[in-house]
Amino acid sequence: MVFDWLHFSIMLFLLAGLLFACGPLILAGLLAPRAKGGDTGMPYECGMVPYGSSWSRWGVSYYVYALIFLAFDVDVLYLFPVATAYADAEGWVSFVKVFIFLFFLILSIVYFWAKGVFTWPRRIR
Amino acid sequence: MNEFIQNLIPLVVAVVGSMAWLAVNALVLVYCERKFAGHIQRRPGPFEVGPHGVLQTLIDGLKLMGKQLLTPDNADRFLYWLAPILSMIPVLLLFMPIPYGPVLTGMEVDLGLLLILAFSSFNGLALILAGWGSNNKWGILGAARAVAQTVAYEIPLLLTVLAIAFMTGTLNLTEITAQQAGHIGNWFIWKQPLAFIIFIVAMFGETNRAPFDLAEAESELTAGFHTEYSSMGFGLFFMAEYGYMVVICSICSVLFLGGFHGPIPGIEGWWWMLIKTYALLFLMIWARWTFPRVRFDQLLNINWKWLLPLATFNLLATALIMKL
Repeated sequence: MVFDWLHFSIMLFLLAGLLFACGPLILAGLLAPRAKGGDTGMPYECGMVPYGSSWSRWGVSYYVYALIFLAFDVDVLYLFPVATAYADAEGWVSFVKVFIFLFFLILSIVYFWAKGVFTWPRRIR
Repeated sequence: MNEFIQNLIPLVVAVVGSMAWLAVNALVLVYCERKFAGHIQRRPGPFEVGPHGVLQTLIDGLKLMGKQLLTPDNADRFLYWLAPILSMIPVLLLFMPIPYGPVLTGMEVDLGLLLILAFSSFNGLALILAGWGSNNKWGILGAARAVAQTVAYEIPLLLTVLAIAFMTGTLNLTEITAQQAGHIGNWFIWKQPLAFIIFIVAMFGETNRAPFDLAEAESELTAGFHTEYSSMGFGLFFMAEYGYMVVICSICSVLFLGGFHGPIPGIEGWWWMLIKTYALLFLMIWARWTFPRVRFDQLLNINWKWLLPLATFNLLATALIMKL
């Protein structure tokens, strides 16, 4: 069956979560005062008038980390089906396969390490 | 039709139960946290509202509801208000596959572990929306940090969870608990001590808790991604944060501490799960008020240089030992 109880319950829980989130917000909207004027709407930057918008470019030094994360996360996902079948697999072939997979995974860390990603201030060669 | 009703009723009970559990937890944990913080710093903590201040968080919640819902002038209104809601929505779902007792399970899901891991990563999205939407420099910096941190700590978490999944051959949390039945010696903490330690450390990183709370480091970023949020917007972020803490501690006790099984045979029940989860939660609170905050490069590099290779090694060792 395409649509079964699991899908239904996931939707039910998400809907309940939505209610749980919106309820207090709406209640607060009804109860709360609505002051206006002055600097009420000014972004809080320690009382100073903000200089320029914050939607500007700035050096995100984390993007290399994000790249490694992406590689790892996608690769680790492949291990979940393996995990459920591993206990039933006979012989050493399965271990060798897992070993090769994880070996190349860890090699990426070694590569980035050697490249200097983990050294701050950043000096990527 | 009759069958439909029979299936529906437990689900509705589970939904209502999860809601109550989440709300009560938030109230109790905030109180415990403040009381703990007080006693660790040799002061009594909240004391005025109710005996020993037990009603403090309830009053705080009411007070939050009476505050104005402010939106900054230059903010992206839609994203700004979407963020706290998006942070809150998946939390309830995360309680569904966790077995809190022999019958106290929302629903037995074959891919329960994967379901939790998948939906808990919604939080990262909510944080970056909050930071970006509020058009505040603290907010953006905090959001960038929060995301860099949660994605980084997700990997060792996944790898340690995988080590357990390799051993048990299942991702069903109820079955994982069943395999630890009997006495204390069957708990997976003895078979996977390294995985347990890595999980604990990654747990702090995932939930943005001190000593890894760089995302909202007060001394540097005011409050990080939720600087601009007032009233219940802020309240929802906090409720969600406490929700995630409870979820991850529950998972930890299911995976490593035997879930609802007691240390000796024959005394299983939901109270064991409660004790274990709260023991882990107290560990988190204790750590928050004991350790100073780390620096951000240290935070990321502990993860990539230590936790990740160790977790991979642990997984390999698990795979090897299973074949021996």
